[in-house]
Amino acid sequence: MHRLRLSLFAFLLAGLGFELLPSAASMQQSRVDPAKGGVGDITGPYEVPDPKWPEWAHPYPKPGYIWGSQGGVFAESPNRIYLANRGELKLPDRVPPNFPGNWGFFNQQAATQPIANMVNCIVVVDGNGKLIEAWNQWDKLFEWGRGPHQVYISPYDPERLVWVVDDMRHVIYKFTHDGKRLVQTLGVLDEFGDNDDLTRFRRPTMIDWLPDGTFFVADGYGNTRVVKFNKDGKPLMKWGTRGTGPGQFNTPHGIAVGGSPPRVFVSDRGNRRIQVFDVNGNFLEEWPGIAPHSMMMSADEHVWAVDSISDRIVKFDLSGHAEYSFGQFGTRPGYTWAMHQISADQDGNLFIAEVFGGRTQKYRPKPGADPTQLVRGRSLMPMAGGTR
Amino acid sequence: MTRIRGAQASGCANDVHAHANQPPPRLRRSAGALAKAEACALLVALSLTLAGVVVSAQQRPNFTGTWKYVSSTPPNYPGSNGWGVPSPTVVVTQTGTELTIESGQFGAASMKVVYKLDGTDTVWDGTSSSQSGSTAVVKWRTKASWDGNRLVLYTWNTALNQMRDIMSLSGGQLTIVRATEQPGPSTNATLTYTKGS
Repeated sequence: MHRLRLSLFAFLLAGLGFELLPSAASMQQSRVDPAKGGVGDITGPYEVPDPKWPEWAHPYPKPGYIWGSQGGVFAESPNRIYLANRGELKLPDRVPPNFPGNWGFFNQQAATQPIANMVNCIVVVDGNGKLIEAWNQWDKLFEWGRGPHQVYISPYDPERLVWVVDDMRHVIYKFTHDGKRLVQTLGVLDEFGDNDDLTRFRRPTMIDWLPDGTFFVADGYGNTRVVKFNKDGKPLMKWGTRGTGPGQFNTPHGIAVGGSPPRVFVSDRGNRRIQVFDVNGNFLEEWPGIAPHSMMMSADEHVWAVDSISDRIVKFDLSGHAEYSFGQFGTRPGYTWAMHQISADQDGNLFIAEVFGGRTQKYRPKPGADPTQLVRGRSLMPMAGGTR
Repeated sequence: MTRIRGAQASGCANDVHAHANQPPPRLRRSAGALAKAEACALLVALSLTLAGVVVSAQQRPNFTGTWKYVSSTPPNYPGSNGWGVPSPTVVVTQTGTELTIESGQFGAASMKVVYKLDGTDTVWDGTSSSQSGSTAVVKWRTKASWDGNRLVLYTWNTALNQMRDIMSLSGGQLTIVRATEQPGPSTNATLTYTKGS
């Protein structure tokens, strides 16, 4: 019954989605530019390459367990992909023979139920999903929370430090590239502060950077603000209050920085819009009609937003024109259930982490795919001392 | 300055030793007196600080009592999925080292929870129950710290329930500024309790 309800819901959303983007754009009269793609365009310019899916990157849980919610993914290169897992879930005693290997198959959100064992929370895999590194030494950091929310490397950092946001423990961790050392913790572990507290977060969600290392944190589930830090992690300013007006938020869940002059694009998920600010928090404009879990600034200076309502990936230019979209709710290969972070490698492969589907899928460009429809990851600074 | 004079008068600045190769007596006396005055000032400041700490500790409120729920802001604050729901009665017992709260705010059933007042964690295994009736054995943890006359209490469990209560006393009323976190929406409320029996 639940599955039927979900399917109906997805169908209705898909139907709405067909109109959603043009209608969103039509609210901005000058921006009417219907997005290409539409219902049925499930994987867009991509295909799911591994016919054995979901074996891709799924050999690690011990017998009787399965990966739970997948908070984040970051492709540093085609053969070094960081996966942020929110722990492992115990499988039912009897698993149907057609069980594909991801929790979403049970039509139960993998985010919170049942309580996950916090193991293999950060792992690094190659392009085939083969394990390269498991940062099990840090699993204990996530035990009192729900695991890592997202994972990143700043495109401007030659050290390629690895940043991990932990929303439920109210902190952001910065690790060395190899994961051997925890370099910095932003926030106070387990303590949450209110909107005017620059020492504590209240369930932070996402980060993005300026070329000089200045970074912005969307904060988040509990607070309703963006906090700006200098490159060393010193808080510089904050903006945002709870509400629906310009500069107000309800669950700022995603953030992307780019453009010239640089702008800060904030997913105001609860208000179903993207808000645009200058780097000092001055409101510039809003793009209504989309409620992204996450956003990504691409190498060709577009904002790619993953919509929590329609389960579609939408490409915006920096003026808010929706240029293209694809994707559809579902638990079969290629479909998605709550995309939470996307990342693209230098070969054009796209990785999508699903918090409710409980998997991270790899998408490969179809032969002859339109390059304007591909998500292009930002180049990273060459690593000091060479890449690993 | 008054404090320094007071210290000198009490015998702190008597002893100026003479040594060979020292500056003229007037300067020596002056330097020695200055050093003595500084030492005494430091001593007095330290004493006053310690006294302040003692006074401050003595002034910290004692929340012991049986407290009856009066109201909340926003009105009819419901808590969050059975977590942080204002309990009609909260029984608080405070000693010099810990504070114990017995309340229904930790889930569907009334529960006794201990907070150590030295800032260290208290961890135990227990059940987590919700109003929906589901229960699970989870780890619990609490922590307390003073912020002036306010007591900040954190309660966490591994079922992803989190609560921050900031407690204060005023005019015979107990005020709890409550914030909860769960994977769902955050909540904030100010709860007022009055002494009852």
